[in-house]
Amino acid sequence: MLISYRWLARHVDLSGLSPQDVVDSYTMHTAEVEGLEPFAPHLSKVVVGHVVACEKHADADRLSVCCVDLGDGGEPEQIVCGAPNVDTGQNVAVARVGTVLPGGLKLKKVKVRGVESRGMICSERELDLGDEHSGIWVLPAQAKVGLPVAEALDITDWVIEIENKSLTHRPDLWGHRGLASELAAIHGLELKALDFELPATGGGKPYPVRVETSGCMRYLGLAISGVQIERSPVWLQMLLLAVGQRPLDLLVDLSNFVMLDLAQPNHLFDLNSLSKDGICVRDARPDECMQTLDEVERVFTAQDMLICSGDRPVAVAGVMGGEGSKVASGTSDLLLEVASFHPTRVRRTASRLGLRTEASARFEKFLDPTLPAKAAAHLVHTLRAIQPDVTLPRALGDAGDWQDPACEVALRPARVRAVLGIEIPDEEIESILERLGLGVTLGEPWRVSIPSARATKDLAIEEDLIEEVGRIHGYDAIPEQPLTGNLEPSTFDPRRALVRRIADRLSGPALFHESMTYTFQENALIEMLGEDERPHIRLENPQHEGSDCIRRSVLPSLLGHLAKNRRLQPNVRLFEIGKGYVPELANERGEPRELHQLALTRVTPRPEKQDRFDAGAFAELQGVLEDLWRHLGRADFTWRQMQEDVPSWAHPGRCVAAFFGEHRVPVCMLAGLEPEVQTKLGLTGELDSEVACAELSIDELLQIPEATARYEPLPRFPSVKVDVALAIPEDMQATVIRAAIEKSGKGLVGSAELFDIYRGESLGAHQKSLAYHVLLQADRTLTEKDTSKFLGRLERAVADLGGELRKQ
Amino acid sequence: MAEVDGQVSEQAGAIRVRALAAIEGAEAMEDLQRVEREFTAKNGPVGALLASIKTAPPLERRGIGQAVNELKGAITCALEQRREALAADRLAAERRADDFDPTLPAASLDVGSLHPLTHVVRRLEEIFTQMGYAVLDGPEVELEFYNFDSLNIPGDHPAREHFDTFWCRSEAPEAASARLLMRTHTSPVQMRALERMELPFRAIVPGRCFRNETTDASHEHTFHQMEGLVVGEGITVGHMMGAMKTFLRELFQKDLEVRLRPGYFPFVEPGFELDVRCPFCADRKTRGCSVCKRSTWIELCPSGMVHPVVLRHGGVDPERYTGFAFGLGLSRLVMLRFGIDDIRHLLGCDLRFLSQF
Repeated sequence: MLISYRWLARHVDLSGLSPQDVVDSYTMHTAEVEGLEPFAPHLSKVVVGHVVACEKHADADRLSVCCVDLGDGGEPEQIVCGAPNVDTGQNVAVARVGTVLPGGLKLKKVKVRGVESRGMICSERELDLGDEHSGIWVLPAQAKVGLPVAEALDITDWVIEIENKSLTHRPDLWGHRGLASELAAIHGLELKALDFELPATGGGKPYPVRVETSGCMRYLGLAISGVQIERSPVWLQMLLLAVGQRPLDLLVDLSNFVMLDLAQPNHLFDLNSLSKDGICVRDARPDECMQTLDEVERVFTAQDMLICSGDRPVAVAGVMGGEGSKVASGTSDLLLEVASFHPTRVRRTASRLGLRTEASARFEKFLDPTLPAKAAAHLVHTLRAIQPDVTLPRALGDAGDWQDPACEVALRPARVRAVLGIEIPDEEIESILERLGLGVTLGEPWRVSIPSARATKDLAIEEDLIEEVGRIHGYDAIPEQPLTGNLEPSTFDPRRALVRRIADRLSGPALFHESMTYTFQENALIEMLGEDERPHIRLENPQHEGSDCIRRSVLPSLLGHLAKNRRLQPNVRLFEIGKGYVPELANERGEPRELHQLALTRVTPRPEKQDRFDAGAFAELQGVLEDLWRHLGRADFTWRQMQEDVPSWAHPGRCVAAFFGEHRVPVCMLAGLEPEVQTKLGLTGELDSEVACAELSIDELLQIPEATARYEPLPRFPSVKVDVALAIPEDMQATVIRAAIEKSGKGLVGSAELFDIYRGESLGAHQKSLAYHVLLQADRTLTEKDTSKFLGRLERAVADLGGELRKQ
Repeated sequence: MAEVDGQVSEQAGAIRVRALAAIEGAEAMEDLQRVEREFTAKNGPVGALLASIKTAPPLERRGIGQAVNELKGAITCALEQRREALAADRLAAERRADDFDPTLPAASLDVGSLHPLTHVVRRLEEIFTQMGYAVLDGPEVELEFYNFDSLNIPGDHPAREHFDTFWCRSEAPEAASARLLMRTHTSPVQMRALERMELPFRAIVPGRCFRNETTDASHEHTFHQMEGLVVGEGITVGHMMGAMKTFLRELFQKDLEVRLRPGYFPFVEPGFELDVRCPFCADRKTRGCSVCKRSTWIELCPSGMVHPVVLRHGGVDPERYTGFAFGLGLSRLVMLRFGIDDIRHLLGCDLRFLSQF
């Protein structure tokens, strides 16, 4: 919201406060200020000139050659002007050679059809003062020639921008008078009096108004006669311009002026366009229509409220007037509407129609219902000061079931000190409350009376008053105190501790990079992965069409980023620790099950030929996971190939799950990508890659008890290394062979490391050969005999399995 | 005898001259070893001279023996000297390191990295846990009740407009305040903490928040916040000032001025905007830097004394207990900390960005 410094000064004497002082006062005591700018700074460069002569240009009908006295004691300047209304004897705004106009135009000495022109006589639009461009701006006769226009018209001003959000709870601050009263309270100044009494009206019945909806607390209808539609006086135009409003005509300007001055929206109807039955405020009927002032046909619901003339809608209550009843030129009889509407009703209508207006913004803050009468009087007085012949032919129509919200709130001064943590004497508290216009009755506790302007929204409980005292006293006066007290030492959340260890291990020895991705997943991505078959929570109002999906698992988010990263570097190692939401596992309150997950992906360029059987992305990621679990003290795991529940994006053959101890639920899944999905993700062809990905449930891992790492005694006797190669059928899994080796060692096998897998013609079809380094270890010196016994047993064991011990 | 003597010593002299010249001429250890073998071998010149002792008359043998021993001694000594000299040369050559270019790049190691947010959150967790705060967590998909109603923002409250809430779709229309939404701030965890924590307590809650805002370099629909909440008996605004100053001192490693301005948030009363003196301004007299937009103050976090309505919703007696709360903009803090100029990098999943931290 824009505020004019000059406008504030209409309500409070600002002779001791500069614009910056005002800004600082608001910042530290009232609300957030977003900016301070001079109003129309170019008006102090443009000067008042007097047209002493004006003749037609010899070669151009529409141009005039003027001699303009610039009050500098020199010869009048010759200026060529194209405006139809320029004439001898006028005072005009002159931009001299060298002046820069809004928009950046710098004036030069030019020849116009052969006649020299030294400057420009400006229109209002050229000075950024409205849209008026049909002719030049004719200044009042009393404007002193030679002075800058801003000074001559006394319109120098500053514009303060206040952050609207910080005024959400202060309906009283949505106008200049309210903000001026803040300055009065902060600095102990006097608020200037305004006449809030309506002048005498004509006799007879009041103007007929009826309220038929609970959404309208109060409706005032005042007939005004003898109005002439003309342009507003300069002071009014300039105040409106300063706060960003384009002046139109006196009536529109006055209506805006009263709203921006007192925060009370109001509306003027052409009285003659209204029915003799007067005004009725009612709920709209479903599908009722009306064209609003912005020339859009609106359709209403029973939620909306309409102002009707007889039964015909003429305005949307609290939001915008209707096109059919607007004040037209030639109108001299008006109906002034000033009303109080229910904030929620107005807010809903405004947001449903997408029509947030200055009026609706104020109504939805809950305006003081005593304000309409004051605003009506203020408008009439201001109008009469300009047009003294205006009359009020009928008594004021006043309807509505409203109550004065003024109330009393109890306050304990000791509580003020206890909450703020400052030593502030009772007298100071009392003085601050009184400066804020609140009444104080001392006692135990104090009774503080809250006037209606502060009672609708803001001041209702003791804490509200404590805030008032604190902010006016100044928060910078509060000394800092150290926190003390008896606290149970807080235990660090076990999940957070585990997550920290995981992230450290992965970003450290495993060389993975931690990523964070959006909770929302693109629909196209989850469709591509086939994940759309599973239920997802969806957004009602996504930012983009096609990304309304809230992730149920983290891994798909990472998969969507692989190709982009792989294009830039051959090796991609990414992990993310995040949350997924599962709607079908919601609790009784409707909250979806929250899953804590670790997702990992490893991408490598696909090698020409595998150097080693365990050189690929899959084996590497498996190694990373196993190292992680050992590091976390969860080494008792087995991998099982997944037969069921293989996700649609996972390679159906290369998908395994890790089970821990007796825990029945798998903790981690590790998989390659399904070939078609990999192609769709862009990881074939030019970016052909090996991709492995894993998803680990942190929730499940937390269930696995951590085994403290234990020291293993160093061997006292040398070990014996035996290399064996075993030919077995293709479909036999390595774990079977591994078990046979263990068993054949009869407790002597210290370790058995698979180092090669061979397939070839010499073995025959559907055969493979696994080669192991086996270390035999015992608490004595081993002999040749131990080795040969081991090999003999292994040979028989493998033969029993249908295989063959090839070599040693 | 003299004749024989003369002959032997002449031979010995000649051998000596040859040997010493060869030793001196050896440029490398291998050359020197070859020279040593050549002259000291049994069938070498010294050996031959010694062998002549057998055929010499007994009276001459002694002379021959002496001459050979002197010759051997001289050769051994020369060899030793030359060996030392060559060793010294080699060390000197190694020390010279002629092929060393100090400007060559170091070997590039493969390393992993933590996300910049993780770095900052960990630092904050360390600081606050040292001050006795528990670290809590809360759901990102939240009930309307926790995000709004319980925080004194009922359904028709105009402040709801400011949150640009992402609402979750539901099959059946649920009762008011039972709808699901993407939490717009970490504040709902205030209520969850009040419900389950023993009083008094201190807690922080780092986490994701969501607002349906147009994204650009400084706005994201998904961002990170850290809520702080302290509830106990006799907690005052002064305590909040103290806590914030302590935390800032730890974070920026210097004392920074803090100021409170009025701010409006329905779940606190009084409510504040807490500003901190810009830690990036080299010189305050120049009226600030680009980080603080030339104001010398940085808007750090909304804060305030927990509203009695919120305490009551959480089952806490506001007459007995008071508390303060604050909501720190984590994403912004991370951007300040690392000088990141575009918030969208944080969740962009680009290794070129991630590997820098």
